[in-house]
Amino acid sequence: MWLIYKKELLEMLRDRRTLIISILLPTVIFPLIMFGIGKFSGDKQKEAEDKVIKVAFVEMNNYEPLQRLFTPEKDFELVNIEGSDYKELVLKGEANFIFQGESDLSLPQVSKKTEEIVMHYKRSTSLDRVFYDRVMKVMDAFETNQRLALGKALNISNQNVKAINSPIDIKKENYATKRERTGEIAGFFVAYILIGLAVAGAMYSAMEIGVGEKERGTLETLLLSPIAKRDIVMGKFLVIFTTSFTSIVVTLTSYFVWAMILTFGGKAIGMDFLANISGQDLLLVAALLIPLTAIFASILLACSIYAKNMKEAQALMTPVMLLGFLPVMVTLIPGVSLTWQTAMIPVTNVALAMKDLIKGTVDYNLIAILLVSTLVVAGALLYFVTQFFKKEKVLFRS
Amino acid sequence: MIELKNLAKTFVYDKKQAKAKAKQKKEAIDPREGEGVFHAVKDVSFSVEPGKVLGLLGPNGAGKTTTLRMLSTALQPTEGQILINGQDVTKDRLYASKQIGFLSGKTGLYHRLTVRENVEYFGRMHGMGKQELAERVDEIFTLLDIHSFASKRADDLSTGMTQRASIARAVVHKPKILVFDEPTTGLDVISAKTVLDFIESYRGTDMSVIFSTHHLHEVEQLCDQVCLIDLGETKFFGSTDEFAKVSDNGDLYSSFLKLVNVQQEVA
Repeated sequence: MWLIYKKELLEMLRDRRTLIISILLPTVIFPLIMFGIGKFSGDKQKEAEDKVIKVAFVEMNNYEPLQRLFTPEKDFELVNIEGSDYKELVLKGEANFIFQGESDLSLPQVSKKTEEIVMHYKRSTSLDRVFYDRVMKVMDAFETNQRLALGKALNISNQNVKAINSPIDIKKENYATKRERTGEIAGFFVAYILIGLAVAGAMYSAMEIGVGEKERGTLETLLLSPIAKRDIVMGKFLVIFTTSFTSIVVTLTSYFVWAMILTFGGKAIGMDFLANISGQDLLLVAALLIPLTAIFASILLACSIYAKNMKEAQALMTPVMLLGFLPVMVTLIPGVSLTWQTAMIPVTNVALAMKDLIKGTVDYNLIAILLVSTLVVAGALLYFVTQFFKKEKVLFRS
Repeated sequence: MIELKNLAKTFVYDKKQAKAKAKQKKEAIDPREGEGVFHAVKDVSFSVEPGKVLGLLGPNGAGKTTTLRMLSTALQPTEGQILINGQDVTKDRLYASKQIGFLSGKTGLYHRLTVRENVEYFGRMHGMGKQELAERVDEIFTLLDIHSFASKRADDLSTGMTQRASIARAVVHKPKILVFDEPTTGLDVISAKTVLDFIESYRGTDMSVIFSTHHLHEVEQLCDQVCLIDLGETKFFGSTDEFAKVSDNGDLYSSFLKLVNVQQEVA
């Protein structure tokens, strides 16, 4: 078995595609791409924030206090426009925002009633969205000012204005920690990524050493060797397991390290609890991955051995990949949590445990049940593959 | 010595195959077709003494490859015996694989391993020790003139080099029986000669050689005995001279045509 394992591993390591997929992509290329995209989008956001927005006022002579708020310091430019086709003026870019009022438009604090202002603008791109948010921020500030001024004109105290504006102020006391709240979503995505990596990591090597051997004509040679078929399967299974597990561990470690570096320990993205995930938790994540990877390695090896050629192998493996994600989706259903029952459902249990680990609410007794049940499933699948490999109909399928 | 006694192999069709075959039946076909089964090999017997080369002949689909696969224990016979030095290997796959060296038209080499790594890998599989393996590899690399490209990866080899490396792989464990399944198919003249010369070198040694081919001139050149299989049955087993005498012309080609079901082939 170890002879087969060592030889298959050596061949895998000599395959540039394996090295690129398993090591180079997760450790260098993906982080660089992510960093590049993040940097680019950050720069673009800043550029949009600094870009001058042209604002025009029509028939709003009484609204000088509002106009004063659109200052050049905040990158606003007050412009004069000619014509009354506001749509065309906006579309032509003569002004980004046009505020239009009636000729006798007064400030609410003077008229003591709601006044109507029409805002002409165009919002379709993400740049428009940034412009809109900047303008609305000014408008919100002006509205608050007017509310208070109106209260004063009506002899209502600021306190009362506040009460009218917001009769009930709900003070929220959520006792879930930030780690728990964020972990609920982050845990799902981590599990989702892991399942994807487990399948993708196993898929290529499974094809290479299963149906690949059939196509190259080396399988028959291997079957003539004085090595028990069980050992041949075990050797091949372990290679798929090793490459898949390595791929997951390398990817996770790389993402974790890069995330910690680029986000200053998670602070930059409000996930500073990342730094609190203990070494024990990380080891547990690795332990959870062992049976999960074994399950997918067994299934994909069976597909690969059964297939007549690479094309058929891909056709068989694609549904496995899609089916692999379904148990993860189950974790999104409200009320589904890690219990002794769900701890026995393969894949779903690992996804639920991942969530709990990231949230910091994991029950270690349930993890033990999960590990045992998943190992049993992985063992059963491996036994099935071993038996499958002994079938002449499978080996010489044509 | 190797002996095949009344060897038979029946494949059971799955539902899909059975349905397809049932449709075909109207057009009529291979008499080996049964109800949901196919008797690929019905009754094959022959034996090869040490130092002798046996040519295994037969038209396409006669059952040669199935017979050789049973011989190499990749397939389990439905009936019959395969005796190597008197021991029934149908029940002992591991013993058979130690005794048999197998080479087919397909190379059976791992492309990302060097020639040396390929040969050593199979040697280690057969349980050879480090020292024994090193000496054996050196011996066969010298014999087959492989040393100059021993460190090249298998996917960088020419056809001739590949064939020599494949031979080295097949004989590294010093098998007592060599099985060649159409080893010259698809090879150019020079590469084919390498294989034929190698088989020739085993004549008169303590090894038995079974050589399946469609090229009757190769049989004439190399084989002491001939076994002709047609429709899964042994139609002839005897010396090459006796085989030639089957036809009035006294040549292998005429004898072959006389013995096989020509109508079936034409159909």
